[in-house]
Amino acid sequence: MSNKGYFGEYGGRYVAEVLRRPLEELEAVFESALTDSRFCDEIEAFARDYSGRPTPLLFAKNATREAGGADIFVKLEGLANTGAHKINNAAGQALLAGRMGKSRIIAETGAGQHGVATAAACARLGLECVVYMGEEDIRRQRPNVYWMELFGAEVRPVTSGTRTLKDAVNAALRDWAASWENTHYLLGSALGPAPFPDMVREFQAVIGRETRDQLTAARPAASEPDALVACVGGGSNAIGFFEPWLVTDDAGRPLLVGAEAGGRGSDPGDNAVRMAGAGCLGVVQGYRSRFLTDADGQVLPTHSISAGLDYAGIGPQLAHLGETGRIRFVAVSDRSALEALQFFARTEGLIFAMESAHGAAAALDVARELGSGRTVVVNMSGRGDKDIFISAAALDGAAWRAFLRSESEREEPA
Amino acid sequence: MKDPRIVAHLVAGYPSVDASKEVARGLIDGGAFALEIQIPFSDPTADGPAIEEACRVALERGCSVKEALGVVREIRRESDVPIFLMSYANLVVAPGIDRFVRSARDAGATGLIVPDLSPGSDDGLYLAADDARCRAVPVVVPWITKERRSEVLDAPIDWVYVALRRGITGTYTDLGPEQEVFLSSLRTPGVSVMAGFGIQRAQQVAALVPHADAAVVGSEIVRAVANAPAGGEGEAARRIVESLRGL
Repeated sequence: MSNKGYFGEYGGRYVAEVLRRPLEELEAVFESALTDSRFCDEIEAFARDYSGRPTPLLFAKNATREAGGADIFVKLEGLANTGAHKINNAAGQALLAGRMGKSRIIAETGAGQHGVATAAACARLGLECVVYMGEEDIRRQRPNVYWMELFGAEVRPVTSGTRTLKDAVNAALRDWAASWENTHYLLGSALGPAPFPDMVREFQAVIGRETRDQLTAARPAASEPDALVACVGGGSNAIGFFEPWLVTDDAGRPLLVGAEAGGRGSDPGDNAVRMAGAGCLGVVQGYRSRFLTDADGQVLPTHSISAGLDYAGIGPQLAHLGETGRIRFVAVSDRSALEALQFFARTEGLIFAMESAHGAAAALDVARELGSGRTVVVNMSGRGDKDIFISAAALDGAAWRAFLRSESEREEPA
Repeated sequence: MKDPRIVAHLVAGYPSVDASKEVARGLIDGGAFALEIQIPFSDPTADGPAIEEACRVALERGCSVKEALGVVREIRRESDVPIFLMSYANLVVAPGIDRFVRSARDAGATGLIVPDLSPGSDDGLYLAADDARCRAVPVVVPWITKERRSEVLDAPIDWVYVALRRGITGTYTDLGPEQEVFLSSLRTPGVSVMAGFGIQRAQQVAALVPHADAAVVGSEIVRAVANAPAGGEGEAARRIVESLRGL
């Protein structure tokens, strides 16, 4: 847990007075829920019956052989219902909202996975749901908009600023400032003002705890894994996946690696590399962390092939752990992520979400670096079905565009 | 009835750096008691659509913090109205809080409004601003607890800014008994009260006059500036302050 909302010098609760009380109330309810066995039972039942937990841990033997290094295991978190780890946190917070007597949920979404998970949890729990999504992200992730609406959520396009995730967060914060009496803001990443970073990590820690048990079962004689790798946008899958290993053993193991979006290059605006690149200390959207900003402190636009990593800030606990050296951050380019997507599809029959494919690319590098006889686990935080418009266009552009044209020209059925 | 004191808001650099100086002059000519000059920030989470859009346009046209402070400096040379400089935490912490506070004071600011650095979570802003004699102005809301209200009023301040309605700037507020009671609960020796959020008309200003030392008008002025013809921004600003004063 944080120290009064701080992880080292990062974190905190930098909000206008209007949001102080709702955050204090949320913190109190969250802390009491954690020690309430009835609440924990509700979470477990939801995870088992709806989300499909535990998600499998796969030994990727073909990938291991081809990569020629450490044994590669893949945590198939993308097999969770709704297609990504996001459901763990969405379910946890939606159940918490019920406990607070709040009937309306608002959320921001980038890739749309958090929006889909939130909309699904709200459908299941009978809560009203409004999802803010940047216009640019709606264009990139149209299929997820369709699913959210099918779940009965209202998707509100955000047309301000860069029209991506950060602007959706701003819009949700504004809604909440006016609506907190009956509304819970279901933030999707391990960032924002306290208590969100602690809360999201706790709800996502199930990924790491399961992985640890599954590894022990798969290799009873072996000790801990040598490395764990996850992609990092805001960082919710990474912090949940790493959670059991945040404190090292005496040898400083295991190695924890966070893969940031290297995008299309190192120029400002071409990537979202906060830790392994040009991030500056800042206070934005309610928390202190490392952000991509200009010299004045204005938040810069970012780029990634994956909407979910395309964000200028990073969760405060991850920033702290990066600074202390506990987590190694690497930048993975759009191209490397696409190559890793193809590699695991061909060798293992897995389609990584474009976000998670950044982790996959980093895991291949780490496996080669560690060499055989070692173990590396990568979190496939989401599956890539949602990315078909991006991956097909990037990998098979002409044929895909021809298909879309012919589909759009088809007569509507009578 | 006494002439209502209006704290008139503008976004530096909107619609351009020069035009925003004309807006400031127009607001002063119209009889504004003080100016609230906002340095545009990329993520203005406490502002509504009108001010957010003005910030976006100002930034797109290249308004830096230095240029925004230049607007303050130029207006200060021409007038001695109080100038409250408003912005968000990241523009204050990026150069270092002490340095930011000194540049604001040297440019001629009277006080600082930074809604996401509130007393106790301010990283030292309130003390630095007190040292520089350019004190920070906390923003409070009617539903804060008594303990929190005392904590805020104990900070080194000359003014407190009351956000009268739930939520963000730019939507209509009626002044009800609940708000009046809250405003009177803030009466503290040495601390003046400015109240705003949602003030669009002279009747609202007049209703506030008995309960607060000044009325803050933001989005309504920014909308008037946005709707003014090019070159007419200063005149539009003057007219709206006059009309809010009931003239």
